Amino acid sequence: MKELTVVTSESMNEHYFLKKKIKKVLLHVALTLIALYTLAPLWLLLVNSFKNQSEIISSPLGLPSSFTFSYLTNAAKEINFFRALLVTASITASSVLLIVIVSSIAAWIMVRNKGTASTIVFMCFVAAMLIPFQAVMYPLIQFFDDVRLKSATGLVLMYGGFGLSMSVFLYHGFVKSVPLGVEEAATIDGCNIFQMYIHVVMPLLKSITVTVIVLNSMWIWNDYLLPFLVIGNSPTKTLVLELYFARITAGQFGNPWQLIFPAVLISIIPIIIVYLFLQKYIVKGISDGAIKS
Amino acid sequence: MNFYKKWFWPLVMPSLLLFTMVILYPFIMGLVNSFLAWRGTYYFDPDTGTRATSMFKSFVGFANYKEAFQDKRFISALVYTVKYTFIAVIFVNIAALALALMVTTITKRSGLYRTVFFLPNMLGGLALGFIWQFIFQIIFTDILFSPDALYLPFLRYMTQNSNKALFALAMLSTWQYAGYMMIIYVAGLNTISADYYEAASIDGATYWYSFRKITIPMLMPSFTIVFFMTLANSFKLLDQNVALTDGEFGTRLLAMQILRTVKDTSPPNYGKAQAQAVIFFILVAVITLTQVAITKKKELEM
Repeated sequence: MKELTVVTSESMNEHYFLKKKIKKVLLHVALTLIALYTLAPLWLLLVNSFKNQSEIISSPLGLPSSFTFSYLTNAAKEINFFRALLVTASITASSVLLIVIVSSIAAWIMVRNKGTASTIVFMCFVAAMLIPFQAVMYPLIQFFDDVRLKSATGLVLMYGGFGLSMSVFLYHGFVKSVPLGVEEAATIDGCNIFQMYIHVVMPLLKSITVTVIVLNSMWIWNDYLLPFLVIGNSPTKTLVLELYFARITAGQFGNPWQLIFPAVLISIIPIIIVYLFLQKYIVKGISDGAIKS
Repeated sequence: MNFYKKWFWPLVMPSLLLFTMVILYPFIMGLVNSFLAWRGTYYFDPDTGTRATSMFKSFVGFANYKEAFQDKRFISALVYTVKYTFIAVIFVNIAALALALMVTTITKRSGLYRTVFFLPNMLGGLALGFIWQFIFQIIFTDILFSPDALYLPFLRYMTQNSNKALFALAMLSTWQYAGYMMIIYVAGLNTISADYYEAASIDGATYWYSFRKITIPMLMPSFTIVFFMTLANSFKLLDQNVALTDGEFGTRLLAMQILRTVKDTSPPNYGKAQAQAVIFFILVAVITLTQVAITKKKELEM
């Protein structure tokens, strides 16, 4: 009787591990399939950037029959790739820099100087997160046009304003957990407020700053509506705008896929490169941001 | 702390200035303009039929709101947005939670999967919309689901029918956002101590039972965030809508309706567009606040 129980439990154990192993394999199979599904549209984008229109329609899934960069160079010219890249990069970088400086310093001083004023200002920023862009866009554009700021500079200021709420909120939550001790020591050493901000506070806020940079650059780089309303079809367009206008002008008589595919491809290459290098920080930034809020 | 006190206003000022310029002032002007016969660059005086000498002469009461609610396109965009949001929130959340549970169960190559699933988020809605337009129009229609292959009529010509396009848009959004929301769920799952599951399994709990009694309650804070983000994002969706169907075949969402109202009307009726925008704001605020209140309450009950 005793022997029997041992045998059963052993075979059950084996059974258990086998089951666990099968489960793991199945899980990997499922995940691989989903990963392929996720990558499939990008595969389509890649292979069809080297084909002409009729080949794209007749065999969209396969590799190109002949290999030529002419569609890519043609598309690069069509969307003024290098100029657009420069415009997009400088607008994104200046906006994010503005957001980081203005919101970190405001959030820091709001936490360090608690009071009614501080609470009210903070509440305003938080409440503003509920306002959708559409609710302010027309008066905003009109106002910036009136003060002659309907330009790339104005665009940077607008992004500064729109990125503010969430960034102040994130910094505010983070600064609360930073102990006062270091700053007190710095005051005793005779630090003034700006030295303190640059040399003491900012280094402590590094990890949340990564989150703020990631979240803001992602939407500013890819934003379509605000540049469309502010810059429109003027010579200095962002990548997204170039893509949009290339699509509209070429697409009045059907879909010119031999232009759209390579244009989309080169417009996303810079982000893909950035993502491959910085994905660790990007993913961490997102998940930190979610936990903090 | 006297040291900080005297610096409070100088250091808060830049952010307040930006905030006032970009959000507060335009928001207030938006509320005001929704009651005026606003034409964008000027105000119209309905009494004289010419440009108003001052904006107060252009006051039309609730006429813009009345006009908006009588506009079939606005009502249809409103209904379409609600339907889309409902479908998209369910799709994205189920996909994201499933992905999160899967990538946290395995240890090998988990990082690689996460990297791949998150990738679509890095790309803009417009660029992705163009690719998916090709997928729906050529790959689905002519290849995968054509009569010669796996014949599924519902998955053909998805961008040319308002009901099908709803699902096309939801498929695109799920493909794009599931990886992002997965990251948030993973962060939530990682905060749950393995001890709970161990204790439950010693007590003989099945996987499904511990999922319901441990995972779901402990994940409530993540649900609050993910629901908030997916609700708000879906309600405000624009780029993908522009790229996929451009609002043809009755597929306009509210964000596009507000944008296109000034093109639909001549002279451009900014007053009416603004009234729609104010209604849009109220809807977004009410829906997201209600959702946060409900899930927060659930968090406390658990």
